Amino acid sequence: MSRRVLPFLLGGLLAGCDHTTPLVPTNVAATSGDAQTDTVARVLPAPLVVTVMVEGGNPVVGAPVVWAVQSGGGSVTAATVTDAAGQASATWTLGPIAGAQSVHVTASGRSVTFTATALPDAPTQASKNAGDKQNAAPGAALPVPYAVLVRDQYGNPVPGVTVNWAAAAGQGSVSPAAGVTGAGGVATTVHTLGPTLGADTVTATVPVLAVTLTFVSTGLRQAILVATVPIAPNYGIHDTFVRNGIAFVCAWNTGVMIFDVGSGARGGSPSNPQLITTIATAGGETHNAWWFWNGASKQYLFVGQEGAGTIGSSSQGDIHVVDVSNLASPFEVGSFQLTGAGTHNFWMDEPNRILYAAYYNAGVVALNVSGTLSGSLSARGIDTLAPGGPGNTYTWGVQLYNGSLYAIDMLSGLWQLNTANGLLSVAAGGNNVPERYSSDLWVANGYAYTGTWGTRSAPGNAVKVWQLNPTTGAPTLVDSIITSGIGTVSDVEVSSNGKLLMFSAEYGPNAGFHFYSLADPAHPTFLYKYPVGGNGVHTATFGYIGGGVYAFGAKDPTSPALLILDVTSLTQ
Amino acid sequence: MPRRLAILCLSATMPLGLCAAQRPSLRFSGQAIPLLTTTNAVPGGATLTEGRLVQPVLMLEGAALGDHLQLHAMGDFEGWTIQHGQLATGAYGEGYYDRRHPHTYVHELMFTGGDLLGRWDGDVVVSLSAGKGFAPFGTDDPMSRPPMLYPANHHLAQILERAVAVTAITAGKVTLEGGTFNGDEPEYPSQWPKWNRFGDSWALRASGRPVSGLEAQVSRAHVHSPEHRQGAGTDQEKWSASARWERAVAGRPAYALAEWARTAEAGGAYLLHSALVEGAYGLGRYRPYFRLERTDRTEDQRVFGEPFRSVRPHLDSSILGITRWTISTLGAQVRAWRRGAVAFSPTAEVAFANVAKVGGGVFDPQVFYGRTSFATLTVGIRADWGMGGHRMGYYRGTPMAEPMTMPMDHQHPEP
Repeated sequence: MSRRVLPFLLGGLLAGCDHTTPLVPTNVAATSGDAQTDTVARVLPAPLVVTVMVEGGNPVVGAPVVWAVQSGGGSVTAATVTDAAGQASATWTLGPIAGAQSVHVTASGRSVTFTATALPDAPTQASKNAGDKQNAAPGAALPVPYAVLVRDQYGNPVPGVTVNWAAAAGQGSVSPAAGVTGAGGVATTVHTLGPTLGADTVTATVPVLAVTLTFVSTGLRQAILVATVPIAPNYGIHDTFVRNGIAFVCAWNTGVMIFDVGSGARGGSPSNPQLITTIATAGGETHNAWWFWNGASKQYLFVGQEGAGTIGSSSQGDIHVVDVSNLASPFEVGSFQLTGAGTHNFWMDEPNRILYAAYYNAGVVALNVSGTLSGSLSARGIDTLAPGGPGNTYTWGVQLYNGSLYAIDMLSGLWQLNTANGLLSVAAGGNNVPERYSSDLWVANGYAYTGTWGTRSAPGNAVKVWQLNPTTGAPTLVDSIITSGIGTVSDVEVSSNGKLLMFSAEYGPNAGFHFYSLADPAHPTFLYKYPVGGNGVHTATFGYIGGGVYAFGAKDPTSPALLILDVTSLTQ
Repeated sequence: MPRRLAILCLSATMPLGLCAAQRPSLRFSGQAIPLLTTTNAVPGGATLTEGRLVQPVLMLEGAALGDHLQLHAMGDFEGWTIQHGQLATGAYGEGYYDRRHPHTYVHELMFTGGDLLGRWDGDVVVSLSAGKGFAPFGTDDPMSRPPMLYPANHHLAQILERAVAVTAITAGKVTLEGGTFNGDEPEYPSQWPKWNRFGDSWALRASGRPVSGLEAQVSRAHVHSPEHRQGAGTDQEKWSASARWERAVAGRPAYALAEWARTAEAGGAYLLHSALVEGAYGLGRYRPYFRLERTDRTEDQRVFGEPFRSVRPHLDSSILGITRWTISTLGAQVRAWRRGAVAFSPTAEVAFANVAKVGGGVFDPQVFYGRTSFATLTVGIRADWGMGGHRMGYYRGTPMAEPMTMPMDHQHPEP
């Protein structure tokens, strides 16, 4: 018997033997309609068809079939038993949720799953998805991009929809100016605020919907940390001098670290300082510096060495002169030593080539630094003046202003000194801060601002505001800024445009950078605080680089670092 | 003696002398002093009263190979019990003022190779020691001396808790010690020495014992940047000279110490001197004692809101001046209870102090303290487990089997 005849014979025997014996399906197959794609909530164009078979592939007639929507939320309209061909079919209406959807079909314990891809419907709505209502400094790129979300009537994100962006009020800019929504239905752009303070607006238009959305962010005065430069814990940083994109960082026994922060020498910038070199002066203890070009070929860096001292009575430390004509190869060429006293902060009368140095218990020293400098500068001393007299002099800093030399003395307060080519005499002031030890000073706008240090009968939490007599220059105390939660104001400076007062604060929960508006220079008003943990900020100075204004601060121990803040907005 | 017992000999209940001389031995001991101190030697003119558990220590001493290998170890738990220091008139150091700082948990962990040359050098004893412990400088740690409160000169007269290597040569009645160590002093109890600074400081000590019970020493040390852990601080040049006398007088134990110390810091910018005498005498269960001290200390800028702490590491010149503390202490201890090596000794001491400004500077003690004369009363109970009066910080490789020292209990040995 041939193999072709045998199945028929067996089939006939089975058919003739017993019609009541049920056929047990052994397989359920998706015959057609699987893997279709269409828009959400639509009826798929092709019906779903299953075939129920027994072993050997023969169809089962009248087999019950159960259809169930498994995902996507749609519906099916279906036959519940198989026809003569062993098939059952269904019409599948997709649910409203875009993405993969499925229908599960079961017959006598066997099952098969149909899947379909539901595409979003046409866009019907657009909304702001992220980035609105941020605050940043004027001119800053906002950290969170603006985002528009386009959706269909069911809320599904719709990709491929064009969104046009435009900066409106505020003179800011956007990038990109146009885009299409991605798979998540979102289109984004980055908003760079305009140069002015206040609200800055960007519109997002979705042409297909004729919808325009408005994003509003605000340009605020604030300081933004742009760089943190770790410094070896060699007693950390003390003062920093910044000019022409070069920062001279005085890092104690490490020496003076010379950074390019925007000079073009090494491609550095405030946010990416590049170390040019380091020069260690004799004796170390590098505290402060002043960079001076003598008008000829030489450029000198005067470096203050701060040796051991007892506040109020004794001090040590020399002035070291470093030839920095080649910034990459500086070398020490001379020094100035004053027996029995040590130097602190400098100010330089550059046109007349006179260096004024605060000299703690010796008061103020004037040095002739014209011409070529080498060896001992002891013969270049012009004058020395202890404004408070013996036992009442411990001078922190000096500054020339309108022909007077102002000196701040830790013990005896603010002094106005006359200087005639470096010959010094007292003009006015003195013994005017009896309750506190004074620290740094800055003079601008016809006012002097002086810091306070440590604890006398009152803590060093004050900045004193002094009005200078328009005629004589004599100082008169007119206001004090008292800051709770600090122990020392160790550095004070006013921005070159006279609008911003900055001081560094140490020791206490409010240690850090503090900024005040000088809209009324007699009564500064608080603008902003940039807190710095640990002991706070030891010194802070402004740097003017590429149209921006930066604060260079010395974060000291236990993890010393040079902190650079963009404070441009605060100076507006 | 059974072998197992010979290996471990716990002297808290068994004197070390019972251990076989050539067998390994271990000796445990400890002490603690719960005390109450009231004083007006505090900033701002206030009076403070505090109860603390001070000097809670456990000590382990071991010897093997016939005392050729020795171990000195001490755990100090003041980091837990006096986390913010202990009120102590005139005390300063490691960032504390008017409070004594807590010591580190591992106060001492020293290994000594004793008499390394054996008979080759005759009676000379040459030893090498290494670990964490005392530099060979100055006098006995105050913990082992009669008063409960530390003297103000602790940081002038001792150098401790360093990674140190010491060579000691003892010939007859003379001992020469030389050591090198890390200059940085600890900043908190769990801190270890800064290992890469090992060797940046050194100390030498010459000791002699001309007559029984008398020991005199002169020592010299160079300590690099003790107050700036990274090593950028100022150095100290230190001198110490002392005479320590201890023997029976009229059949009763007597003890006396006279010492002088000098520290020059920052090339002599700060000169600190100290002179101290103290003594004790045993009268049965009672031991009266005294201490007279005059010690200079620098006055650092205090931490904002924490008048007992100084800014560390300080910036610029934060030395505000130098003060001289003259402190007189009188006290008495009574042995109230003793079982074996465990003893409890209630103690009371009173200290009167005066502070004066030395030289220039803005620090004015009258302004800072509201007074210049102070009184301090301390009562406590010295709980002692086989340790009382043990002289710490000597690594000379001499036999360990010396009796523990305690002025009122024993004839004191030479360490």
